[in-house]
Amino acid sequence: MTDFIAGISAPRFLTFAATLALAAAAAALTSEPVLAQDELNALVWCDHTDPALIEPFEKANNVKVNLKEYEGTGAGLSIIDQSRPGDWDVLVIDGVDVQRAVDKDILAEIPADALPNADIFPDVRMEANNSRDGRIYAVTEKFGYNTVSYDKTKVDPADMKDMSKLWSEKYKGRIAVYDYYLPMIGLTGIDLGKATASLTDADMPAIKDKLLALKANAKQVSDVVSSQTALATGEVDIVFGGGEWLTAGLVKDKPNLDWTIPEQGAVRWAQSIGVMKDSTKKDLALKFVQYIVSPEGQARLATSSCYWAMPANAKAGEHLTDEQKAALRWNEQADYLKRTQLYPIPTAELDAKMQDAWTEMLQN
Amino acid sequence: MARNRLTNFVSSVYAVLIFGFIFLPVIMLVLFSFQDGRLPVSPFNGFSLQWYEAVFADRKLMSALLHSFLVATISSLVACLLGFFAAYGLARFKLPGSALQRGLLIAPMTVSYLIIALGLLSVLNVLGIGLSLWTVGIGHVVINLPLCFAIIYSSMGDQHINIERAARDLGASDIKVMALVTAPMLLPSLLASFFLSMTFSWDEFIIAFLLSRFDVTLPVEIWSLLRSGLNPKTNAIGSLVFLVSVVLLIVLELFLFGRTKKS
Amino acid sequence: MAHVSLEVAERRKAWSFVAPALVWTFVFFVAPFLFMAAMSLWEQQGGGIVRVWKLNNYIAFFEKDALFRGLTNSLEITAIVTVFSILLAYPLAWIIAERVPQKYQRTALILAILPFWTSYVVRSYSWLLVLSRNGVINQALLNLGVISEPLELASNRTATVIGFVHFFVMLLTLTIYANLVQLSPNYRRAAADLGANAFQTFWHVILPLTMPGIMTGAFLTFVLCIGDYVTPQILGGNNELVLPQIIMLQLGRRADFPMAAALSIILMLVVTAAYIACARWLKIERT
Repeated sequence: MTDFIAGISAPRFLTFAATLALAAAAAALTSEPVLAQDELNALVWCDHTDPALIEPFEKANNVKVNLKEYEGTGAGLSIIDQSRPGDWDVLVIDGVDVQRAVDKDILAEIPADALPNADIFPDVRMEANNSRDGRIYAVTEKFGYNTVSYDKTKVDPADMKDMSKLWSEKYKGRIAVYDYYLPMIGLTGIDLGKATASLTDADMPAIKDKLLALKANAKQVSDVVSSQTALATGEVDIVFGGGEWLTAGLVKDKPNLDWTIPEQGAVRWAQSIGVMKDSTKKDLALKFVQYIVSPEGQARLATSSCYWAMPANAKAGEHLTDEQKAALRWNEQADYLKRTQLYPIPTAELDAKMQDAWTEMLQN
Repeated sequence: MARNRLTNFVSSVYAVLIFGFIFLPVIMLVLFSFQDGRLPVSPFNGFSLQWYEAVFADRKLMSALLHSFLVATISSLVACLLGFFAAYGLARFKLPGSALQRGLLIAPMTVSYLIIALGLLSVLNVLGIGLSLWTVGIGHVVINLPLCFAIIYSSMGDQHINIERAARDLGASDIKVMALVTAPMLLPSLLASFFLSMTFSWDEFIIAFLLSRFDVTLPVEIWSLLRSGLNPKTNAIGSLVFLVSVVLLIVLELFLFGRTKKS
Repeated sequence: MAHVSLEVAERRKAWSFVAPALVWTFVFFVAPFLFMAAMSLWEQQGGGIVRVWKLNNYIAFFEKDALFRGLTNSLEITAIVTVFSILLAYPLAWIIAERVPQKYQRTALILAILPFWTSYVVRSYSWLLVLSRNGVINQALLNLGVISEPLELASNRTATVIGFVHFFVMLLTLTIYANLVQLSPNYRRAAADLGANAFQTFWHVILPLTMPGIMTGAFLTFVLCIGDYVTPQILGGNNELVLPQIIMLQLGRRADFPMAAALSIILMLVVTAAYIACARWLKIERT
């Protein structure tokens, strides 16, 4: 194998290596200039990494915001577990998991008058999730739905109003199931007529059977990227668990994609943002949170590059174009909020059972 | 004669088919990096350089490119050095338990990168060491050291011993012998191991993903980019890296590998 | 003044050469591995890790069908991939070594492994697009009239295998070529002298002589394939899970490190078993 590169002379090689080393050194030295700037470390979801969202704040406060994306609350919490106190200043977390963070005592209390609570859509204020004993620990910043996305040129839109059609022969092999067990189990429960808030251990066998039937009817179970791709390439015609967040960004290139909320209802997701208790820059962190929930910040967050979804602050509407509001179905939100339910909030044991059922579903 | 012509024909057809298979995804990748539209999926709408512009304008992507280069170069250098010294020690001296030592040094090759990453993650967590490009580099040295050691060790034949002995007789210290006599003789294997290490480190994903914090390498940044949906930008950066590698290989071919007189 | 014998001085020197690599391997590989082994015997409960020594995680692996199937899926896929990769790569390596003129061999080889330098992740997504219902392959086959309905090539085991084979054909071409090219032409001459035709020469002489190259490549394929997370995740459509995916699932929402550790240890044991099976061909010998 080394005969392959025999015939190299040492002097030649040394010249080459020296050039390479110089190039590397030059690159390293001229790259990132070291500015005496304040830095803020935020553990976030992918929609916060859009420069259009972050740069205005950075410029206005002369600060560098370091962002780390994570997927799945467990992953985020374990990143925090493995960090030292003070490593993180801001946390974006699933609305239904804020209490878990409070249990771990990692969130700082936010004074009530620092947040525009009155401007937030009442249905998504989620005080029970975002606060404890009257103390506020996080604020909802964005929400959306896990429901049904579909290609309206390939699928009968009327069918999509009935969730049970997804289990029918008619759409066999044409469905992608969104790869997140919590909302999908919630949706399955809704199809069985059970409310997400009242799911118990006893419901699991029925749910598992439904899940297995769904899997048998589906082409794939996939994450955001693969689901989007599959829908866009025509690999599948329906994404169960999708919503505006999946298709809004694609609408320009693929106007045939649409979404709806079935009669049975759907599941609503919400993300909250909070300040870390051990942060050494609590004031700056709070400023960041306030920026994110301000009308301008909210408008940018709503249309951020990773996924579009409804901002929690109603005043953001003043900063959105009519086109953007149409894509977000701004005017239909009141109806949607009424017909959708929050994610299930299982106990640790039920959560383990749910994940087991999900893993089994994936394997079959 | 006829048989020869037949085998030649079959070989050619086979070669064309296999090369076609090998290059198929690359061709699609490069083609759709010029996509005039937001999705790198058919139909192909027309040629546009917008995604290449987007790549160069993307500060994080460019940083990630630099980080990958730095991590690959430094970790490969460390792996090669450590491997060279260890190979020298084990090949030129009689040490007790050398078979065990050799086995230990090779062992990481049999362990999946995911496990190495998880192990390091847990240990770093317990020791309270923060994640960074340095921890990624450490992980990459772990996976490349066995490779470097194996390649260099297997090429340290006994025929070189006499030359080294002669050098030492002439008064050269060990370090001088290693640097001025052994290393040049082993240049092909040193280069091969450095080259392979760089290749493995450059495109390595799982260790870089689990062991970095804010500064990431290219594969991790691409993965993050993809979280927001399929994007011709990732095709563009994939094509760019490919193009740079091709150019580099051509440069190496012309200036370094040179004319070989022997086979 | 204590005199150190020449031998001891030599020994000390030798240790100082080997020590850095050994220390590195011990601190950053052995120690973490031992820690993971320890953690696999603990349990994750509620929010934290309970440090009680139990085999629960391992028992759960054997009891829960979904987990155990992860291993069988991994083994099946890896076996298929290894066989196909060798079958496809050997002829290519042979063609480059035997049929391509000497001066173009290096170029041909580089050409064969060139796609290595596109990003692994992006390349996998490209395969997804190529194999999709409206992708190039289906469109070509439909236009040629070979099929009337698109084939289901994407987001399933077929896609995963194709993605893997694509990678390993390149790798194995390299290792088998390296082996072929080192064979002395004398073997062939001797066989010809003894009256063997081309096929017999190949089957009885060349093939056995290249076994080390094949087995090394096969082992490498086995290790890399069975431990890979990216390809099955992107191409498999979650229609089945392999062990690395299950390991990552443990980390996702639950952050169950002990279980992930236990599954990793099991994966390691499987690879070790494979190593022992191939050990004969995998010795590192000095030329």
